[in-house]
Amino acid sequence: MLWVDKYRPRTLDQIMVHQDVAQNLKKLVTEQDCPHLLFYGPSGSGKKTLIMAIICQMFGPSAEKVKVENRTWKVEAGSRNIDLELTTLSSTNHVELNPSDAGFQDRYIVQEIIKEMAKNRPIDTKGKKGFKVLVLNEVDKLSREAQHSLRRTMEKYSTYCRLILCCNSSSKVTEAIRSRCLNVRIKAPTEEQIVKVLEFIGKKEGLQIPSGFAARIAEKSNRSLRRAILSFETCRVQQYPFTSNQSIPPMDWEEYISEIASDIMKEQSPKRLYQVRLKLYELLVNCIPPEIILKRLLYELLKKLDIELKHEVCHWAAYYEHRMRLGQKAIFHLEAFVAKFMSIYKAFLIATFG
Amino acid sequence: MSQSDIRKWFMKSHDKGKGNGSTDSKPAKPAQPPVTRVAEKTSQAKSQPEKPVQASQENSGRRKTSKYFSKDKPKEEEPVEVPSKRKNQKDLDKSDKPLPGKKIRIAESDSDDDFILPNSKSSDDATPKKKLKSGSGRGIVQKRLAVDESDGDDVEDKEASLKSTGRGRGGRGGSGRGVVKKPLNVDESDEDDVEDKEAPLKSTGRGRGGRGASAAAPAGGRGRGAGRGGFMNFGERKDPPNKGQKEVPEGASDCLAGLTFVISGTLDSLEREEAEDLIKRHGGRVTGSVSKKTNYLLCDEDIGGRKSSKAKELGTTFLTEDGLFDMIRASNHAKTPALESKKSMDSADVSLTKKSPQKVETKKILSDSSLTKNVAKKGLTSGASPAKQRGKSTQYSALTWTEKYRPKVPNDLIGNQSLVKQLHDWLVNWHKQFLDTGSKKTGKKANDSGAKKAVLLSGTPGIGKTTSAKLVCQMLGFQAIEVNASDTRGKADAKIEKGIGGSNANSIKELVSNEALSIDMDRSKHPKSVLIMDEVDGMSAGDRGGIADLISSIKISKIPIICICNDRYSQKLKSLVNYCLLLSFRKPTKQQVAKRLMQVANAEGLQANEIALEELAERVNGDMRMALNQLQYMSLSMSVIKYDDVRQRLLTSGKDEDISPFTAVDKLFGFNAGKLRMDERIDLSMSDPDLVPLLIQENYINYRPSSIGKDDNGMKRLNLIARAAESIGDGDIFNVQIRKYRQWQLSQSGSLASCIIPAALLHGQRETLEQGERNFNRFGSWLGKNSSLGKNKRLLEDLHVHLLASREYNSERETLRVEYLTLLLKRLTEPLRVLPKDEAVQEVVEFMNTYSISQEDFDTVVEISKFKGRPNPMDGVQSTVKAALTRAYKEGNKFRMVRAADFVTLPGIKKAPKKRIAAILEPYDDEIGENNDDQVAVSEDDSSNEEDLEGSAVGEKLQQELQSLNSKGVQVQVDLKGSGNSNGKKTPASRGKNNSSASQKKGAGGSGSGTKRKR
Repeated sequence: MLWVDKYRPRTLDQIMVHQDVAQNLKKLVTEQDCPHLLFYGPSGSGKKTLIMAIICQMFGPSAEKVKVENRTWKVEAGSRNIDLELTTLSSTNHVELNPSDAGFQDRYIVQEIIKEMAKNRPIDTKGKKGFKVLVLNEVDKLSREAQHSLRRTMEKYSTYCRLILCCNSSSKVTEAIRSRCLNVRIKAPTEEQIVKVLEFIGKKEGLQIPSGFAARIAEKSNRSLRRAILSFETCRVQQYPFTSNQSIPPMDWEEYISEIASDIMKEQSPKRLYQVRLKLYELLVNCIPPEIILKRLLYELLKKLDIELKHEVCHWAAYYEHRMRLGQKAIFHLEAFVAKFMSIYKAFLIATFG
Repeated sequence: MSQSDIRKWFMKSHDKGKGNGSTDSKPAKPAQPPVTRVAEKTSQAKSQPEKPVQASQENSGRRKTSKYFSKDKPKEEEPVEVPSKRKNQKDLDKSDKPLPGKKIRIAESDSDDDFILPNSKSSDDATPKKKLKSGSGRGIVQKRLAVDESDGDDVEDKEASLKSTGRGRGGRGGSGRGVVKKPLNVDESDEDDVEDKEAPLKSTGRGRGGRGASAAAPAGGRGRGAGRGGFMNFGERKDPPNKGQKEVPEGASDCLAGLTFVISGTLDSLEREEAEDLIKRHGGRVTGSVSKKTNYLLCDEDIGGRKSSKAKELGTTFLTEDGLFDMIRASNHAKTPALESKKSMDSADVSLTKKSPQKVETKKILSDSSLTKNVAKKGLTSGASPAKQRGKSTQYSALTWTEKYRPKVPNDLIGNQSLVKQLHDWLVNWHKQFLDTGSKKTGKKANDSGAKKAVLLSGTPGIGKTTSAKLVCQMLGFQAIEVNASDTRGKADAKIEKGIGGSNANSIKELVSNEALSIDMDRSKHPKSVLIMDEVDGMSAGDRGGIADLISSIKISKIPIICICNDRYSQKLKSLVNYCLLLSFRKPTKQQVAKRLMQVANAEGLQANEIALEELAERVNGDMRMALNQLQYMSLSMSVIKYDDVRQRLLTSGKDEDISPFTAVDKLFGFNAGKLRMDERIDLSMSDPDLVPLLIQENYINYRPSSIGKDDNGMKRLNLIARAAESIGDGDIFNVQIRKYRQWQLSQSGSLASCIIPAALLHGQRETLEQGERNFNRFGSWLGKNSSLGKNKRLLEDLHVHLLASREYNSERETLRVEYLTLLLKRLTEPLRVLPKDEAVQEVVEFMNTYSISQEDFDTVVEISKFKGRPNPMDGVQSTVKAALTRAYKEGNKFRMVRAADFVTLPGIKKAPKKRIAAILEPYDDEIGENNDDQVAVSEDDSSNEEDLEGSAVGEKLQQELQSLNSKGVQVQVDLKGSGNSNGKKTPASRGKNNSSASQKKGAGGSGSGTKRKR
């Protein structure tokens, strides 16, 4: 088992990083009334872990017995019937799903599943909770319509069903939803915290960690605990007796993107643009989300860029990312960004060096 | 730093370090010509002192004799001294001429020895001489000379000579030629007055001559070797050295009418396509290779290729780009001066003697083109002939021309003569073969074309299938019974209750089967019958069983049956084809059509120019009927048909043709795309609103925009690409609005953003970016990539679900890919590489079991981590180890407690059963049941995987085929639309589908196990 999963805290009490949040949540849950919750924060900060721990806290160990289901919904939308299918993860007391997987029909999913849960309301025996919990992941990727349809259902069925929403950026969640939830911001762990966790794992695993090594991993992890642990283990797999100057391998796709970035910097021409397009396709086909590609690409470019251009390039990156979200074919926008960058950079080079 | 600061900085730096972007490009332009054109300048410089007039026109670069001529003429009237100087100047020019005109020179030498320079090896051609001569007789003589000079000539040259005679006045011709002697001019001016009166009638011969002359002069005058004498390899074409730096003249629309050009090598400032368009626009014709009919070889440098050598052999005039420009400009100049003073070329042209027209008219060859030319040039409203035509043309109206001029005898048919002959023979032999001696039938069948009892004529509409069928029948004295789509042709009624007359099909049956009787009775008296089944591919809903019935009719028929269809490859006709002799009619060539149209036009008293009719023929795409209709229509409003009329009229009423996305993209990006009108562009991009944008997006990088002219550092192009890319992005956003929110009113904006703007920015010449790439538009790679993305996503989702099911993992799919995968891969492959075999295998299998990773998932992990140009993650793992792993994993199946459900899906299943099936991913306690289920699942899995692959392979294959077809220049019209759409649509829907089929799968694996997980 991977260390990330192996040392994942299962209960609120075990939580190491966000202890204060955990304690507050625990209080909240034990007081028998749980509002809708919205967790947001950067990836790798522990949102999911907290959510699972809360559910555990609410329903006891039975919440751990999940099954994966591939469910179909029949939705009547106006004149036509839509069949929707989605994979859900559910236990007796909670359902977890990723509605944005349904694409632009996600709003039906959201409504349907909530209604359905309201229908099969668990019988309130032995002082058990009278509600089920619905965990929605990636709420920020929900379409606007889905979010709008969510807010009514949220209220209407709130007696039967509590929502726990989870997302990276609360700015992409509508105001209406945010105001209906208790917002919990999970911040990224500090590097010290990461180091602490890494050392804890190292101790449990019985590893010798050279001084400074954990710190380096933490630094490279971009304050994502998950990443830190994963690359820690990657290092372990690669070479056990750690040396303090051991290289920390980057992710495969990161390497590839930095290759692209240096391609772009080296030459700005239609031909190069074409080659870059092929490489971008390669990344996309390998399921790297386009936003991440763009972000990383910008990061790599900025590293090599003259300071005077940074601002402008960032501006355009943001511009094209926005358009990418509005659009559907990511490659068009990625390519547009690259083309734009090339034209800016080339103009800059010519202006500077003639 | 704020953005504006950056901008400022940019501005500054522009000023400082010039040589970038748009700012400096402007100054660059004016600066450049001098450099590149030094040679020309020098030649001009010589001429300047002599001709101050010329200087004023200098700015356009090269001065062509004819050019200044037209302008100069008025001024030149008085000076008689100039000629000698002029000659000298001419001489200089001539010296470079490549034409082999020695004889001429000799002839010439008697009149003006002085101007033959010792170094001028390649002598001058006929034109210069003309200038020198005066008097009408001269003109003719010279022409003759020209004839001699080009050894291998015939028709053309004769034409030429005729023309010159027609001209009568050498003076005219001379002036046209460009370099004319003063005396001549004087003459002309005198004549002009006379001419004016006669102009309408006379103009025939003259137009030709004048035009030709003006064209010729530049060729003569311009120094061949002037600038660069680059050698070029065959097939390789450089950029024009002065690309986009010359102003392209606009001239009278028909100033090149009747002239045939061949373009060779690289021109000075025009791309070849541009030059071609320019010539066509002005009425000239461009052909691919030099022949006797070629008037000019357009080239700016002598590359010694096949064209130029042939041209020399044939004595074709060489023409430079500037010469061409001047010819065109001349036509403009001609117009204006004509008004004030009659000395301009045009009026001079008109001044041809009265005799000439008669002569000319007698010569058929000439008359057509020259006539029309005159007409075109003059606008000719007052002419006598038109009036006459009017009179004639008012008479008709009872018949449409298509009927009126329907061919009456087989020889009238245009094209496909051999097919008609075949049809004829078949019909002649039919009775012999099928009726007379039934026994011989079988023996002959093998090789004789008459062995089929029916014949199937196929071809596009309007090329005379029905007409030929009828004609042939008529000729052979058959009585044709035509049944076409207006009759119901369903299956014959089995019950004859309705009577014979009741249904057409029945009567056909009757006819077909009974004819034998009547024929046997008295063959000689009774006309034999032929059944013509017209439009058999039109048998549709109403004609159920029509084809089958037709076939059975053919089998029993006692009379010949001629079937006619448009598309012989139609699915409907598949069975019929086997019973028929197939005759595919081809479209007549445009010349053939034009010829016929000309006959019609003449018969109707319509003045039409050959080029115009050819254009018409081309526009209607070989459809004779449509051409005639158009012609008739036009005849209502005008009595003279010019090239421009046809062009304009048919722009809108041109025949709709199916246009493949590739053609559409070619046109949008084409060299002349800038001249397309907006609605044309929209039509093009809408021809397939899904596929065209993809093709555009795929290929826009490859185009070198023609709009930017010189682009030293590629900056401009890059800027345009960036803009185009952004616009394509806009298109994508539009598309989302359209599809997702059904805002179909945006579709025009969408196609504007996704196709038209990028194409407008970047249209030009295509270049290849990769070595070995064919220079044809690629098929959009997005579809393919998107489908493999879809597949990978699905696989990843499977893996994700398996991981989730293992209960050890609870992150999202994206996280899985972005963060976990690297480590997963390491954990899965690293041991195999490093550790000894058994140990490694054990470790990996254990790891897989913990996370319930199946073998497919293992492959998924490897697959998704592959990057092109990176080592395969599985490299370095020995195959024995792999095999051992597989074995160990299979082995483990027996004891495995955790077995993930399989989410692999079958593509192409439309509706999965809607049963809601819980996929239980939990460990089982009863191993036996587990095992069974498991294996079933696995095996199914494999098969589905294969199918999956197959499906995608088919898709890829289709794409490849398309690509290769296209790259061969074949137009792909095969159902492209269908495939494109289906591909495109797949995207959003696919996930759902996949899942559904997945759940179906699950039915086998998971249905037996309603159990909850235990742990």
